[in-house]
Amino acid sequence: MLRATLKSLAAHKLRMAMTALAIVLGVSFVAGTYVLTDTMNSVFDDLFATTTKGVDVDVRTRATFEQTQGPEVREPVPAALLERVRQVDGVQAAQGSVSGYAQIVDKAGKPVAPMGPPTLGQSFGPVADLNGGAQLRPGGRLPAGPDQVVMDARTADKSGFRVGDRVRILFEGPPRTFTLVGVVTFGDVDNLGGATLAGFDIPTAQEVLNRRGSFDEIQVVAAEGVGSAELRDRIQAQVGSRYEVLTGQQLAEDTAKSIQRNLSFFTTALLVFAGVALFVGAFLIYNTFSIVVAQRTRELALLRCMGASRRQVLTSVLTESLVVAVLASVLGIGVGILLAIGLRGLFGALGIDLPGGGVTLLPRTIVVSLVVGLLVTLVASLVPALKATRVAPIAALREQLVGERGTLRPGRVIGGGVILAGGFAALLAGLFAKVSNELSLVGLGAALILLGVGVLSPLIARPLSGALGWPMARLRNLPGRLARANAMRNPRRTAATAAALMIGLALVSFVAILGRSLKASTDQVLDRTVSADYQISSSSFQPFSAELAKRLREQPELATVSSVRQGPFKLNGQSRTLFAVDPVAMEQLVDVDVRSGSLRDMAAGGVAVYKDVVADNGWRLGQTIPMEFPRGGVRQVPIKAIYADKTLISTDYLLSLADYQTAYPDQQDVFVLVKAAPGVSPQASRAAVDRAAADFPNVKVQDQAEYKKSVSDQVNQLLTMIYVLLGLAIVIAVVGIVNTLALSIYERVRELGLLRAVGMERAQVRSMVRWEAVIMAVAGAVLGLVIGTFFGWAVVRALRDVGTTVFQVPVGQLLLFVLLAALAGVAAAVLPGRRASRIDVLRALAAE
Amino acid sequence: MSSDPNTATEAGSGLTEMAARAVDVVKVYGSGPTEVRALDGVSVEFPKGRFSAIMGPSGSGKSTLMHCLAGLDRISSGRIWIGDVDLSTLGERQLTRLRRDQVGFVFQTFNLLPTLSAAENIELPLAIARRKPDRAWLDRVVDTVGLRDRLRHRPAELSGGQQQRVAAARALASKPEIIFADEPTGNLDSHSSAELLQFMRRSVDEFGQTIVMVTHDPNAAAHADRVLFLTDGRIVDEMAGPTAEGVLDRMKALGA
Repeated sequence: MLRATLKSLAAHKLRMAMTALAIVLGVSFVAGTYVLTDTMNSVFDDLFATTTKGVDVDVRTRATFEQTQGPEVREPVPAALLERVRQVDGVQAAQGSVSGYAQIVDKAGKPVAPMGPPTLGQSFGPVADLNGGAQLRPGGRLPAGPDQVVMDARTADKSGFRVGDRVRILFEGPPRTFTLVGVVTFGDVDNLGGATLAGFDIPTAQEVLNRRGSFDEIQVVAAEGVGSAELRDRIQAQVGSRYEVLTGQQLAEDTAKSIQRNLSFFTTALLVFAGVALFVGAFLIYNTFSIVVAQRTRELALLRCMGASRRQVLTSVLTESLVVAVLASVLGIGVGILLAIGLRGLFGALGIDLPGGGVTLLPRTIVVSLVVGLLVTLVASLVPALKATRVAPIAALREQLVGERGTLRPGRVIGGGVILAGGFAALLAGLFAKVSNELSLVGLGAALILLGVGVLSPLIARPLSGALGWPMARLRNLPGRLARANAMRNPRRTAATAAALMIGLALVSFVAILGRSLKASTDQVLDRTVSADYQISSSSFQPFSAELAKRLREQPELATVSSVRQGPFKLNGQSRTLFAVDPVAMEQLVDVDVRSGSLRDMAAGGVAVYKDVVADNGWRLGQTIPMEFPRGGVRQVPIKAIYADKTLISTDYLLSLADYQTAYPDQQDVFVLVKAAPGVSPQASRAAVDRAAADFPNVKVQDQAEYKKSVSDQVNQLLTMIYVLLGLAIVIAVVGIVNTLALSIYERVRELGLLRAVGMERAQVRSMVRWEAVIMAVAGAVLGLVIGTFFGWAVVRALRDVGTTVFQVPVGQLLLFVLLAALAGVAAAVLPGRRASRIDVLRALAAE
Repeated sequence: MSSDPNTATEAGSGLTEMAARAVDVVKVYGSGPTEVRALDGVSVEFPKGRFSAIMGPSGSGKSTLMHCLAGLDRISSGRIWIGDVDLSTLGERQLTRLRRDQVGFVFQTFNLLPTLSAAENIELPLAIARRKPDRAWLDRVVDTVGLRDRLRHRPAELSGGQQQRVAAARALASKPEIIFADEPTGNLDSHSSAELLQFMRRSVDEFGQTIVMVTHDPNAAAHADRVLFLTDGRIVDEMAGPTAEGVLDRMKALGA
């Protein structure tokens, strides 16, 4: 039996290659994601091992917030603690360190702003071992004095800075200019994972990084013969439990871990796309094995005649799929490593240098990739394999009947209906009900709906292909007519092939609709609620200096200036995010639809809360809620206003700036909203804003029209990225079309022989195959569009509270997708069409 | 009729009188020690408006001859004409068009496209050529084969005999120069066979159609005007006005 199976595989190399390709692509995405993120993690592990090399013990305050996004927020330690640490027995040297926001400006006046990694400012003290693993390049020295700075070698090299140059640097406070006195490297790399670094002596750092009289941490070198763990315990006993005391190694691990948490979002996102690709691949595998089983009916029946048991037939088909799966999964891991290397190159091109030699291939990557590849293949081939066992021995003797009815067994209809209903329930529950893990629920729902439609699609495949093929039959004459008839003759095959493309198109059109609705909603919300003339935001993803808002307020042409800050807090143990605003200015610039109380009442402190949150918690105006901040712990903050429109600000909590200033260590703005004084021309007010912002090259000033355009650009950029990632799923679906056509041609070889004998030209044969492919592709696209539009509608509805008030369908774009799908069909038909047109007529006619 | 059919073409005068001609046709498969001469210098003419049968034992080359005459297979040497056209001068595309416009086919099995109705199958060559069917002619053909009430049916809904008659009607539909039938009755019962053969006979007698039929059934061959006997790739004998018994005797003599 095994030999027969392997022979059958070897005899159909093309079929095997096509099936394998789907698995290879899906698995390579999974493996590539893991390899890439593991490599990045190990790079960061190495990096932090370097930066903490000289540190035996580290003292800092406990983190208030374990954030999933962004750096941890900690309260600084008072400078006086340093003396207490120094007095602990076994401390050879201790040094306070400060780090924060410092944006280097290059010689052309542009901020050196990597996308993503931070722009760091850091203190450099006399204890060289405690300066974050930095080593001076020859010819430089450590900063000493209020106008000296060192920077990382990458930034210096890239921007052309040499020792002795003057360097302008932006801070939370006013910008300053320094003299570059040294350039530093870190072990064998020239930068900290893409971040830029500016180093100052400790007093200067405390001043410019907003840490007067305090440090972020205190680092300690142990005396000869004192173990770091032992010293840690002694220091912990001395400073008390308010502080977190770690060994250098713990610090390195902890820092790396917090970076990994940030990366894990990235990993998850990539794995979702890998999952989509595998899901589509499963359809392809299912379809291929179904066709193969149908074509092998006679052979299987013959085996049954000769006494093979059902179990043996099942084993035979499953073995075939297993062999394909193993080969393809192994190949997929290889391709995944290449993919990861390619992506790393891409990151390098974006300025994120990921140093270190080889890629990291963990056993976990291999195991997960193999398991996923095998599981997807086995599950997808199980149904066809079971069908194979139902082949009656007598079928061997019957005239082979290829082709099937369009009807489905009731079991399948019911099963499909149940899956579909479950999908709808999960999707709608995830979107509209209050549940904890709504994202996974929505994903599950979407997957089930796609699966359900896939199962039921043979019911509509015949009428749908008939309708889509009708114009072709009219326009393309006989080849079109035959193409239509061929697409309609095996509804299940057509349906399964189209379903693979349907998934890709559903997601693409969903994303397109969501994107368009977001853009339209933003426009509408801005028009309705914002009366600010200008909005100032960061040109990188970093917050910017509060100094800018101060300067704006000094301009006589500008009437109202409101800073907006952002920060995390905890409420009853749950992490939340708030925006902090100047309540009086805010009231004049943005209409948040205050239902009771008034923003103005917050001027002296307090919080405004979104109405649904108030209702859910049973709060009322005037009561206090226990908010836990990074600085000062839990505070009872009074609710001063309840608002009903969070479409623009997208937060449930608005804190007054007065509270924010005492509750957070860093004071930086994420937005500044500006309204011109009455009677000032747009040109004059713009000039005033630009004048104030001149010293801050890391921000961009936008009026409403520009802001709308930038939102639209951002959405477009995101859409493009998602399209590229979904492209893989679509490629797999197109491979599916190639596969189906190739298998169909193999089974219709006698028909093709007949057509060629009675005078059909090769071009006409190709045309026939091409139009069949187009029908399948467009059928998949149309189904996908319908589902995608539903997904889009549901999600837009669910997001109404957070600003997506408009549901808009980009009709032109969706039509373009259908056109592209048709073109994909044309492309898919090239090879099968050529094969069909080149068949040997005589052999085809003689074929059994 | 010459008593030696291999020299018959020497006359060569009335090109237009012949629907198809073959001169010194050799067809070799393989090369070296595995070389097989399927046709070994065959010269033969098929006059217009005549019904010819080709007989011979298995492996005699009768199917190969038919395939070469019909432009389905290339010959190793010699020449073949359909009407006035020398097949050796034609490219693949022209050959395809020649089959479409000048040749009709009836195969032993699988003559029809399962996705098309009987009527559509009959008009298939016309549809391929994007030619407007001659309605009156099609009606006449359909009535002759007696399929009027079956036109909308799919091949799967027709009996074997009906399917072969649809195939014959298709072959006639484009008024080809010549029709080649390859064991058309091979899969039919005797009643259906008789019906099909009578129809082929009528299309020669009434429509002046030229038909060449390969068969191993003496009863089928008896419907033809003449029978050519093929052995080892050569035409070895010819019989005019054949009867089933006469053909059977001749076959026995040839050791078939």
